[in-house]
Amino acid sequence: MDDVASQLKKFQKELAAGTVSLVLLAVLAQSRQPLYGYQIAKRLEELGDGVLAGKQSALYPVLRNLEGAGLLSSEVEPSVSGPPRRYYRITKPGRDVLRAWVAAWTATRDTVDQVLQGEL
Amino acid sequence: MNTPNASRAPRTINEYLEQLRAALRGADPALVQDALYDAEEHLRAELADQPGRSEAEMLQKVVGSYGAPEEVAELYRDQEITIQRALRPPPPPKRRSLAGRFFGVAADPRTYGALFYMLLSLATGIFYFTWAVTGLSLSAGLSVLIIGLPFIVLFFGSVRALSLLEGRIVEAMLGMRMPRRSVYPEQGSTLMRRIGRMFTDVHTWTTLCYLWLMLPLGITYFTLAVTLLGVSLAFIAAPLALLFDRTAWGWLLADHLTVDWGFGPHVPSWGDALALCMIGIVLLFATLHLARALGRMHGHIAKHMLVPRAAS
Repeated sequence: MDDVASQLKKFQKELAAGTVSLVLLAVLAQSRQPLYGYQIAKRLEELGDGVLAGKQSALYPVLRNLEGAGLLSSEVEPSVSGPPRRYYRITKPGRDVLRAWVAAWTATRDTVDQVLQGEL
Repeated sequence: MNTPNASRAPRTINEYLEQLRAALRGADPALVQDALYDAEEHLRAELADQPGRSEAEMLQKVVGSYGAPEEVAELYRDQEITIQRALRPPPPPKRRSLAGRFFGVAADPRTYGALFYMLLSLATGIFYFTWAVTGLSLSAGLSVLIIGLPFIVLFFGSVRALSLLEGRIVEAMLGMRMPRRSVYPEQGSTLMRRIGRMFTDVHTWTTLCYLWLMLPLGITYFTLAVTLLGVSLAFIAAPLALLFDRTAWGWLLADHLTVDWGFGPHVPSWGDALALCMIGIVLLFATLHLARALGRMHGHIAKHMLVPRAAS
């Protein structure tokens, strides 16, 4: 039983390696205004445990890497009530990359679904 | 999660950060700084989101959503391995022979990064030095006036920003992992105490020292790079010079050119030119070795002076 749990954890980690970047990019592409990390975390939390596997700390390093790759840009703004916040928005190259990623994701998902439903 | 440290649940944000710092002990200081910044930003946002709740209640929930300190530490360590892989160019193939090791330096991308950094450091060094010295003396001079304090705070803020910028340059060119976020501004104490912290923080002063030090270092690096590259390229081109000397254009150059290797002066021949060319090639590769070594050394200097110690 413990073995199943640890295998699940490992699989979730491997899955998250790509999907978290895709989801973050998509969330920021759909948003009209720039978002900060905590906001994104809350939005994803409403959807359930699917992407982050319940660990919102996974979000921040990925945001930073996406920014490092030039797909996002960010700026710090002092907020009226509370701590300063770092707002992220998607860049033009980010949108181009997202389009390519969505195509790759759709193809992967369709194939995986077909195999899982035994249509091989 | 039944991790050994989980027995004591964090009750305040500072306690949580302390546990996270403890869980990250031994990790790269730059990684620790980034991880602490992210956690603090998230926790403070969570706290500000629902003002009615106490800090302890909020933290209880956060351990489930954001992750317990040990889990977060593990996640950042994993992430770091991925970053390192992405950051590092593929390692050049290990060469066994002495000649292979000596000439292999030309295939190492780090060499060129370091060489470029040496050339750039004159410009950045002059800028940092001017900024630090001007800022410090203006701060001292204005401190008797009412605008003195805001000016000092602004100046120290700019020093932090410069430190982050230099970190980016060092990481890109010298391959040393540097923080991507500055230290999180201290919360929950009075303005005067925060300003006081700025002065008593050793990190502020080591950063200023680094900015000051970059002028002499930059001049040294630049001079070394330009001189050594210039001399070795001139040596390598010696046969070309001789070729011109032998042709109709020879009269343009010195007529009575003689060389002396210690056996008495004579008119330069092809043998002399080839020997000089060989020396030039060896010198060029020795310069590349020197650049790579200096780059590595400077990376360590930057890390020690610009990144606060994790234990502090």
